[in-house]
Amino acid sequence: MTERLSSILKHLTPGSSGLSSITSKNADDVVITLAIRTPLARGFKGGFKDTQLDYLVYSLLSKVIEKSRIDPQMVEDICCGNVNDGKAAYLVRAAALAAGFPNTTAASTVNRFCSSGLKATQDIANQIASGSIDIGVALGAEMMSAGGDRLANAFHPDVLKNQEAADCMQPMGQTSENVGHDFNISREMQDRYAAESFQRAERAQKAGWFDDEIVPIATEVKDPKTGEVKKVVLTKDEGPRYGTTFESLSKIRPAFPDFGDKSTGGNSSQVTDGAAAVLLMRRSRAMELGQPILAKYVGATITGLAPRIMGIGPSIAIPKLLSKFNLSIDDIDVIELNEAFASMAVYCKDTLKIPHEKMNIRGGAIALGHPLGATGTRQIVTGLSECRRQKKKILLTSMCIGTGQGMAGLFVNEQL
Amino acid sequence: MEYRTTGFNGYAVQYSPFVNSSIAVGAAANFGLVGNGRLYFFDLTAQGIVAQKWYNTQDAIYDIAYSEQNANQLIAGCGDGTVKLFDTKVPDYPIMEWKEHNREVYAVAWNLVSKDTFVSSSWDGTIKLYSPERPQALLTLPTHSCTYSTHFSPHSPSIISSVTSDSHLRVFDLRTPASASNHLVHLIPIHGHAPQQGPSYNPLRPRHPPSEALTHDWNKYRDTTVATAGVDTIIRTFDIRHHKHGATAHLEGHKYAVRRIAWSPHAPDMLLSASYDMTCRVWSDRMATPNITPGSHAPSQGAELGRMDVHTEFVTGVDWCLFGGQGWCASTAWDERLLVWDARSVMNQR
Repeated sequence: MTERLSSILKHLTPGSSGLSSITSKNADDVVITLAIRTPLARGFKGGFKDTQLDYLVYSLLSKVIEKSRIDPQMVEDICCGNVNDGKAAYLVRAAALAAGFPNTTAASTVNRFCSSGLKATQDIANQIASGSIDIGVALGAEMMSAGGDRLANAFHPDVLKNQEAADCMQPMGQTSENVGHDFNISREMQDRYAAESFQRAERAQKAGWFDDEIVPIATEVKDPKTGEVKKVVLTKDEGPRYGTTFESLSKIRPAFPDFGDKSTGGNSSQVTDGAAAVLLMRRSRAMELGQPILAKYVGATITGLAPRIMGIGPSIAIPKLLSKFNLSIDDIDVIELNEAFASMAVYCKDTLKIPHEKMNIRGGAIALGHPLGATGTRQIVTGLSECRRQKKKILLTSMCIGTGQGMAGLFVNEQL
Repeated sequence: MEYRTTGFNGYAVQYSPFVNSSIAVGAAANFGLVGNGRLYFFDLTAQGIVAQKWYNTQDAIYDIAYSEQNANQLIAGCGDGTVKLFDTKVPDYPIMEWKEHNREVYAVAWNLVSKDTFVSSSWDGTIKLYSPERPQALLTLPTHSCTYSTHFSPHSPSIISSVTSDSHLRVFDLRTPASASNHLVHLIPIHGHAPQQGPSYNPLRPRHPPSEALTHDWNKYRDTTVATAGVDTIIRTFDIRHHKHGATAHLEGHKYAVRRIAWSPHAPDMLLSASYDMTCRVWSDRMATPNITPGSHAPSQGAELGRMDVHTEFVTGVDWCLFGGQGWCASTAWDERLLVWDARSVMNQR
């Protein structure tokens, strides 16, 4: 009887039951038919430390073609999120051609810092929805080992006169300490959160939960002492440190002593190299081509806020996105909220009243790493894998963005 | 004329195709949410509407369809997934029952040309085809979405149509081979096709999001015209041959979802609708004098000819009388009333 009643209620106020409208399946939905990522390797010391960005993108795009079995000629555009490499647009275009895409497949890059991977996904999805293209690949890739993330020059003095503009020069660690200070997120709360992240990643890795997300990547590593170059195949994330506890994290010295004493190397996101990719097209097209429909892209949105406390971004972006679809946190099954720092992760989780069981179930950037441009897409890949594992449907991804922004994305897993 | 189906809220009404003065109503207790159903057979007499017989059913009745080959028989689609065949010569119980759907049966319809089969559609995402002589369904057509309404085309014994919760009009042709597409020949998105780049591309043209389609009907004179309506309150007419640019006409005006529509058997452009806004409205889709800008693919606007707002609850069923004066019709609603009225009387007011 309650089902009949809610059916009639939906006839009367169709907009109010957000879940049923986002989970409905329509032929022009934008859907994801492939979601894969490389292993995440430790920056400067890990398996990708000597890998070039174009090689990383080339390897992942080759896997996209291989795993999806799509005819590469049908892919019309590739958008890659990347933050540090100013020449990334050249590299992505060349890498795509080398990976097997014909010259009729276009390529571009996008940079909105930590959200670049999600912004790339939104770019391709919007093009499909408006009829500009039919099929596209969105990816994010970052070689933090190659450096390039610091601002080389200060802003112009006239620009610096604006306090918030000047605040954009603050290093991320400083903004984390600002959040910890302004919102009373103690060192202990941050370490406890971080320990949980490590423990979850350890559990997920041991149980093999990441196996359907990760594609092995062959690359070369140079031994720093001998100079010998060795061929390796990376298959596992290198971030998780097994046996991490609250006690072991408490011993670590603050990483940004000029700005505060709460954020450490143990409760901040790791510097990491890696990439992740999704293949998108309209549902009707996926059915025509026989592509498996993994998930539906529902939407994404962006917000801006004070640069000095950029970490609280998700606490503003998430409510904005949910209100556009008449949803609440209760309607969401799996949440991937980027752990740039434990300070903002704890703040956002508590402010939005997110049950910790729903959030970063496989650990987050503190344990796995945060390859800046890749994270936005990486969260989609991991989040959908977790939805499949739990047989759940609604995925929300979100991240804070340096210079004071927040982005969030909404997806529906259809592989139950 | 009025009859109160006390204790039961009406869901469907139909005039008998054989006897001018016979009319049947399918109804349900507690607004069809829980409880029994009841099927009424009425006579329209000089003394008003007289109930001749009624039958109780275990669960709500959501739709009825008179047999086209036997004047005494009628099928009812029920909330428990059953389709029941009643004969007025046999009291109390149906003479036959098919229990094949897994969820509520929202629509039943008889084959209007060969008259020997009927269909039912259900929340379980299927349409089933039956013969009154066979104990199992002959065929199941999948729609994968709650199917609120199904009909045979009045122009062909082999064409079956449906509208569903996923905002699509499906047309099936049983003469096609049953390959992977299960006889599906047209899949028309009621809310409009996805935008295509090209000369007619206009991203700013108002587009409607998909919404549940609750009802549809075939035009009785123009054999490729189908009207659909549902939760977004707009009644749309489609030409099933030319649907690439969307609906041919929009009939807008209802304030809430439209639950039932019926094209007139007497006029090729006239249509009757029943809505949750408690009104029945008579419309013309103005196809005799279409107001179309050459080259534009926007749907033309139909006109509301009249409105009957005597009902005091959601109106759920309408049907035109086939014989006699060409405006008589009947409506049933959740206000427990069957009303028989002349559409022409409300049209003069506009």
